[in-house]
Amino acid sequence: MRKSRRDQAGRLAVWVLVGPYVVFLVAFGLAPAAFGLWTSLGSWGEVFGDYRLGAAVRNVALYLVLWLPVLVLLVLSLALTLHARPGRFAGVMRFVYYLPGAVTGSAAALLWLFMMSPDVSPFGPLLGALGIGSASQALQGDGLIGVLVVMGVAIHAGGWIVVLYGALTALPRDVLEAAAVDGATPWRITRHVKLPLVRRYVAFVLISSFASGTQVFVEPTVLETSARGQISPTWSVNQLAYFYATQEGDFGRAAALSLAMLAVGLVAALLVIYKTRFYRTDAV
Amino acid sequence: MRRVMAGIVLLLGLLSMVACGGTHKGSGELLVWVDNTRTAAAKQYAAAHKDLNIRVVTMPPDAGYVPTKVSLANKTGKGWPDVVFLTNPAEVSTLAAAPFDYAAPLEIPASVRDSFTPGALDPCVLGGRLYCLRNDLAPTVLWYDAKLMKDFGYEVPKTWAQYQQIGERVAREHPGYLIGTMNGKYGAGVYFASSGCPTRQAVSLTEVHINAADQACTRMADLLQPLAADKSVSTISPTDPAFAKLGQDGKILMLPGPAWFGDFIFKPAFKLPPGRLAAAPMPAWDGEDKPYSGQVGGGVFVVSKHAGERTKAAVDMITWMTTDVALQAKQPTFPAHQASAEAWGKAKASDGFYAADPVPALKQAAASLRPGFGFVRYEAVWQSSFNETVIAAVTAGKPIAGALPDWQSRLTQAATSAGYTVK
Repeated sequence: MRKSRRDQAGRLAVWVLVGPYVVFLVAFGLAPAAFGLWTSLGSWGEVFGDYRLGAAVRNVALYLVLWLPVLVLLVLSLALTLHARPGRFAGVMRFVYYLPGAVTGSAAALLWLFMMSPDVSPFGPLLGALGIGSASQALQGDGLIGVLVVMGVAIHAGGWIVVLYGALTALPRDVLEAAAVDGATPWRITRHVKLPLVRRYVAFVLISSFASGTQVFVEPTVLETSARGQISPTWSVNQLAYFYATQEGDFGRAAALSLAMLAVGLVAALLVIYKTRFYRTDAV
Repeated sequence: MRRVMAGIVLLLGLLSMVACGGTHKGSGELLVWVDNTRTAAAKQYAAAHKDLNIRVVTMPPDAGYVPTKVSLANKTGKGWPDVVFLTNPAEVSTLAAAPFDYAAPLEIPASVRDSFTPGALDPCVLGGRLYCLRNDLAPTVLWYDAKLMKDFGYEVPKTWAQYQQIGERVAREHPGYLIGTMNGKYGAGVYFASSGCPTRQAVSLTEVHINAADQACTRMADLLQPLAADKSVSTISPTDPAFAKLGQDGKILMLPGPAWFGDFIFKPAFKLPPGRLAAAPMPAWDGEDKPYSGQVGGGVFVVSKHAGERTKAAVDMITWMTTDVALQAKQPTFPAHQASAEAWGKAKASDGFYAADPVPALKQAAASLRPGFGFVRYEAVWQSSFNETVIAAVTAGKPIAGALPDWQSRLTQAATSAGYTVK
C-alpha cells in the first residue's frame, strides 16, 4: 500500500520533471518535423537530384574527417592535462578554452577573417610558413576546409573540455589512489586508468560532434557574410537547406533536406544510446 | 546545440516583432525597410508626410536578408514591407519572380524614367516591365595613383592593349606594384562584365543568356593571362586586409574598380595621402568606339505587390528617394538620377583627397555601362564560381581561357536551378 503510493508519487515527479521537456519537444521538435514531412512531399527527388548536394556532402565529409579527430584528440589531451594539474591554473585555462566559442555573429566573422590575414594576424608567421599570403588565398578552394576546421575546433573545444574535465573529476578517488600506491606513473594512470574510465564520455563527444559536424552551418555562413563571393552560399548541406527556404522560397525542398539531416543525426543519437551504453548507471 | 540555437532565433524573432515591429500595425500604415545609410532620408520623408503614417524600419545590409524576410512573410501571408531598399540589387530578380512574387511592376512616368542616367534602369527591366528604381550607380573606372604614374613615367592607358603593356612593364621595372586585382565580383564585374562577357544577361524573369565562349570573354581572358602570370594583377579581394596592407604600402599603381572605391576603399582602407588618387575612364577595346564600364553594386528601391491602396504612396516615396536632387546630392555614392549626379559632382569636384577632379570620369563611366549586365537570381554563385574556376586556374598556373568552359557550366547549372532557361 505504502509502496504503491510512493510509486505513484515517483511517477508524478517523473512527469513533472520531464513534462516541460516533452512539451518543448512536441512543440518545437516533433510537430515541426511532422509538418516538415508533410511539406516535403514531392520534393525529395528534386533534392537528391540537385547538383549542389553532391558538392555539399563532399565538403561536409572532408570537414568531418579533419575536424573530428583533431577536436577529440585536442579535447581529450587538454582535459587530461588540466586534470593532472588541478587548482587555479586549471580553472583559468578552462575559462580561456571556452572563450573562442563565445564570440559569434559578425564579430566572429571579422575576427576570423583577420586571423587568416597574415599581415594583421597574430599567427602571421605560421600562415606564412603554410604559404598563405592573404585571407582570399586562405579561403580559396579546399583551404576553406582548413580554416573551418580551425574555427570549428576553437569554437567547440571549450565546451567539451569542461564536460570531459567534469567526468574526470567524478572518477572514484580510491581507484586513482590505488593505482598510485601500486607505483603507477602519472602517464600510466592516465593511459590505463583514467582513459578507460572516461571512454564512454569520449564516445559521446565523438558521436555528438559527428552529429553537429554534419550540420555545420554557422562557421561557413559567418565567413560567407564577410567574404561574400569567395565562398559558395551552399557550401554545406545545412546551408543548402537554408538557401532553398530563404533564397529560392522552396520550403518543400528545404524540409526534405532538413529531414534527411535529421535522419543522420538520429542514427548518431541511436549509436550514442546503444553502443556506448551511455545511460547505464551501474558501470563506473 | 542546434535546438538551443533554434530557441534563441525564435526568441530574437519574437523580440524583434515586439521591439522594432517589422510588421504592419494598422492597414493605413506605409511600412518602409531601408538600410542604415538610407534611414535618415526615409525618416525625413516620413516627417514631411505625416498623413501617410510611414513607419521606417532599419534592416541589415546582408545579402539574402530581404528575400529571407519576404519568404517568411509569404509563408505567413502578412508582414510584407510596402517599400524596400535592396543593398544587393540583384535580389530584385528573386523578389519579382515566382515563388516570391513580391516586387510589383512599377508605373513610372516616362519623364521620370528618362531623368535617370541612360542605361541605369536597364537591369530593373525584366521581361519588359520595370521592377525597381535605381538609387545609385557603381560603374567601374580606372583608379590610379597619379604620383606613382608620374614617378614611373607611365601614361594612363586609353586602351586595354596599353593597360596590358604597362602591366608587363611594371612586372619588370617595379615588381610588387599592382595594376589591378580580380576576385569574385571584383573580377567578374570589373573585367569580364565591362568587356561584355555574357554571364548574366537576363532576357526575362525566366530566361538568361550565358556564353563564356563569347569573344568578349576570351579577349579578357587573353588580356589578363600574362598579367596574372607576372602578378601585376593580383587575385586578392580588394576588401581583404592583405590588400589594404598593399594599399597602405603604396603598392597600388592602378586599380580598375567601382566608383565608390575612391571614398570607401582608397580613403579609409588604403589611407592614401591626399592629392594622389585620380580616376580615368576604363580602357577601351580596339575596334570599339568608346570605353565601357562594368558594375559592382548600386542599390535599388522596390515596391510590394501587396501594397494595395498604398501603392501610389509607395511609388511616390521611392521616386522622391531616388530623384530628389537636394537629397541625392548629399548621398555617399554616385546617384543614378542625372540631375542629382550633376549636383553630387559639384560637391565632389572640390574634394582635396583627389589629385584631379574624378567626377568627369565617373560621369562618363555611368553613361557607358556595358549592356547585358542583368540582375539575376544566381548572383552569389556568379561571384563564387568565378573564384572556383578562373581564380583557381590562375592559382594553379593554368590558362584562364581554359577555365571559361568550366565557369560556363557552373553558371548554367546555377541559372537552371534558379529557374532560368539558359540560352
